[in-house]
Amino acid sequence: MKMTPRTLALTAAAGAVLYAQPPVAPTPESVGPIRGDEVRGYNVTNSVELGFRVHGVNGNEAAYRSDVNYGNGLRLLGSSLTVNSKDGHGRLFDEVLLNTQGLGNDPYQFATFRLRHNRWYRYDLNWRISRYANPGLTLPPGTHLLNTSRMWQDHDLTLLPESRIQFLMGYSRNSQEGAGLYTQNLFDQHRGDEFPLFANINRRQREFRLGGQLQYRKLKLILLRGWQRYQEDAPLSLANGAGLNAGDNTALNSFSTANAYSGDTPFWRAHLLGESGRWLALSARFTYAGSRRGFAIDESATGTSRLGAAANRQFFAGGSGTRPVTTANFTVSLFPAESVTLTNHTAFHNVRMDGNATLTQLQNGFGGAAIVDFRSLGIRSFINATDALFRPARWLGFRAGYQISSRRIRSVEAETIGAFNDRLFHEQTNRVHAGLLGVRLQPLKPLTFNFDLELGRANRPFLTLSERNYHAFGARGQYKRGSLLLSAALRTNYNTNSVSLFSHSSRSRNYALDASWSARRFVSFDAGYGKQHLDTLTGIAYFASGELAGPQSALYVSNVHSGHATVRFALASRADFSLGYMRVQDTGDGRAQLATGAGAFPSVQVLPLTFDSPQARVSIRFHARLRLNFGYQYYRYAEEFSALRGYRAHTGFSSMLWSF
Amino acid sequence: MRTIFLGGLLLLPLAAAQSPPASTSGYVGSNVCKTCHAPVWANFYKNPHYRALASGAEAPEKTGCESCHGPAKAHVEARGGKTTIPRAFSLMPPSQALNTCLACHEQSIGRAQIRRSSHTQADVACNSCHSIHKPAQAKSLLAARQTNLCYGCHNAVRSQFAMPHKHRVNEGAMQCTDCHNPHGAAAPTWRAGLRPRMVETTAGGEEPCLRCHTDKRGPFAFEHAPLRVEGCETCHAPHGSMNPRLLKRPSVFTLCLECHNGATGFGLSGDGIPTQTSSHNMNDPRYRNCVTCHVRIHGSNSDPRFLR
Repeated sequence: MKMTPRTLALTAAAGAVLYAQPPVAPTPESVGPIRGDEVRGYNVTNSVELGFRVHGVNGNEAAYRSDVNYGNGLRLLGSSLTVNSKDGHGRLFDEVLLNTQGLGNDPYQFATFRLRHNRWYRYDLNWRISRYANPGLTLPPGTHLLNTSRMWQDHDLTLLPESRIQFLMGYSRNSQEGAGLYTQNLFDQHRGDEFPLFANINRRQREFRLGGQLQYRKLKLILLRGWQRYQEDAPLSLANGAGLNAGDNTALNSFSTANAYSGDTPFWRAHLLGESGRWLALSARFTYAGSRRGFAIDESATGTSRLGAAANRQFFAGGSGTRPVTTANFTVSLFPAESVTLTNHTAFHNVRMDGNATLTQLQNGFGGAAIVDFRSLGIRSFINATDALFRPARWLGFRAGYQISSRRIRSVEAETIGAFNDRLFHEQTNRVHAGLLGVRLQPLKPLTFNFDLELGRANRPFLTLSERNYHAFGARGQYKRGSLLLSAALRTNYNTNSVSLFSHSSRSRNYALDASWSARRFVSFDAGYGKQHLDTLTGIAYFASGELAGPQSALYVSNVHSGHATVRFALASRADFSLGYMRVQDTGDGRAQLATGAGAFPSVQVLPLTFDSPQARVSIRFHARLRLNFGYQYYRYAEEFSALRGYRAHTGFSSMLWSF
Repeated sequence: MRTIFLGGLLLLPLAAAQSPPASTSGYVGSNVCKTCHAPVWANFYKNPHYRALASGAEAPEKTGCESCHGPAKAHVEARGGKTTIPRAFSLMPPSQALNTCLACHEQSIGRAQIRRSSHTQADVACNSCHSIHKPAQAKSLLAARQTNLCYGCHNAVRSQFAMPHKHRVNEGAMQCTDCHNPHGAAAPTWRAGLRPRMVETTAGGEEPCLRCHTDKRGPFAFEHAPLRVEGCETCHAPHGSMNPRLLKRPSVFTLCLECHNGATGFGLSGDGIPTQTSSHNMNDPRYRNCVTCHVRIHGSNSDPRFLR
């Protein structure tokens, strides 16, 4: 094996460009000496990319922020640092690893950090931010919006990472903060008006973990104890005045509300791994999470009802709920021969939601207090699956599996008002039998084919949309030789769920073709096409002008064509060019315009649209440790039946990538 | 190549003197390997596998080059050649590559789990995703960026993440392994069938969506039962969707009405999931966006109809 630093660098660059990511920045090219620098017994590699993004949007900027959201300004587009001790016996540490992306200004930022001493400790940090603006226009003119930022951080510390006895500690934080706009229906639940409700969203969850790992011969036991604390106290406010519907007389004079929600989730997790000789392997896992959360709502509103009368409403609610979740898995694998694997897997899952609540509502001086029991819900599942894998020859393999699942759902709906007490108990069990057959062929070393068929039967699905009588077929072929990769895949799913008056059928077919090739060290290609077809036919019923319309059929048809192509080439190891194009188009059922008619809405649901994005990037190496990069990416979103959400966006960046 | 080989022969006695004495089982020690494979060796100290070598406590068959590639005596005597390497990964069938890695990693991955995983069934072995000598990422020794590795086979998923509404995987805010376990996960139990496969639950054994979307977890006084029984994917397409909020339909009301149609045999009571009331006039567009009023559709603490 002969690998020069130049070969290593080119290999790394080519590997990075295959299946290039859609966002044009940060730059995937590397800079600096590939082997790094020697500093006091350590090897150091580093790179920093500092850049400036610009963007311009024509059309619906809210939709752009929902789909893309890159803005203007300076940011640390990316950075990388590795420090490794040369002999594996560093005094304070043996490894430092730091990778970042988008720090400072990008909507999607992350940083991963690892600090490790081979003998004593390993510390891992994973930190992320996602700024997400959702206009929420599920059906124009919808009114729910979110403009929030979600931040995650995970800290994990392992003591004695190379020892048979290890200690684990961890802390995670997940928070969501920002503005939200919801709606509140007031004074009449069915014929009231909706008023915009502004929320300052503030959700936080903290998790502490403590555990250990014990290894004895071929047995390993991992124990983890954790505590989660969730808190949500979003202050809400409501604008006075008329509601959203112009023809409605309901008006609001004053409104105040407070809504607090918090709780704890302590959990246990135990995992046992074991082997015996070369013929048996075991895995057993048990988890228990006992969740409890409390809530309090205090709300008052005064105004005018739709009939013109003065209206006031006060509402108080408080209580707590529990949600214990117990899971257990046991897997035993037998390897009677090198070519045979037999596995039996048993899983148990039990979740129960229960608790108590009180609720008081006073409306126009009337009303009363009610003790509202939770709608208790318990779901218990039991699964047993057996798989067999048989490989009689290198070019031929078979697999087969059978699974039986049993899910029991129990619910209690209850209400207590004064002396009146009513409880409704329900219980049902659904059993699913599913089988799987698969074949793998490898007629030539670089050529493989995989086929699999799954059949399933359920006797009592929970929803009309659930799988009842279904089959799924998949096929995949791949040719891989050197840097050339060609692949084709097909997957179909078909499900019917019929009852006397209604029926639901769903059919999906996915096709995909992909190719990538690094023709020379200085040029590589990557292209692909996929089609995802989905049609569902479901019975629906609804009221229109007081009359029940139904049963009717709702047909949803979606034909999504997607394609991407990227070409990258280098000039004399001085400049790298990358051109790419990505397009996703839903052609619906092929119609050119939205159906209109006397009905409440068209019975055929389609949303034809196009989302495409060409991009180009240039990276010029001025010095062994310095690169200058420029990029441009265009986004276009266009719905065929409506221009309300459409936009065209130009985004670009320039950056300097250097290693120091 | 010839120069390197001759140099290797000259250095062989010196290297042999520095390395542990060669055993009769054919182990020669990594110092012999590096005389010819100097470029591989030059970066090996950055590799996590170097830790076993640095510790100095492991036996020859459990450390250095020969722990993975097998005893090298025959390879050295034959003056190189891929076929003389006892375990040359490029020549090995996937199952053998998997077993070689599991010789050490079975305690962290679990042979029982990975041998029943969809990846193993499709002959996706360790070296399909991991590159020991030429990793693109130092962490986990991945051969390429994680998403690109997954897209290499899961073409349709790549298309889903290219849709306008998606989880931010391509943008780097998430990774496939945030929700999936490529080494084989226990069967999920919020769905009764064989799918979804390779989905990793939370530490508390719950659906992975709840790891981030903590506000949807509950418990709520009034749960929206489909969410708990069938999972989030009843209404949402988790990878990506052409519809806002990753919904499976472009309009909210069709999504709701497909279940709320009163068909007997479904729902908690088996009497059918209730239809909307006559006060909802679907000729009026204000009633077609159900969540305008049913704002707490994932679960409410104060209203069984999720109005508050």
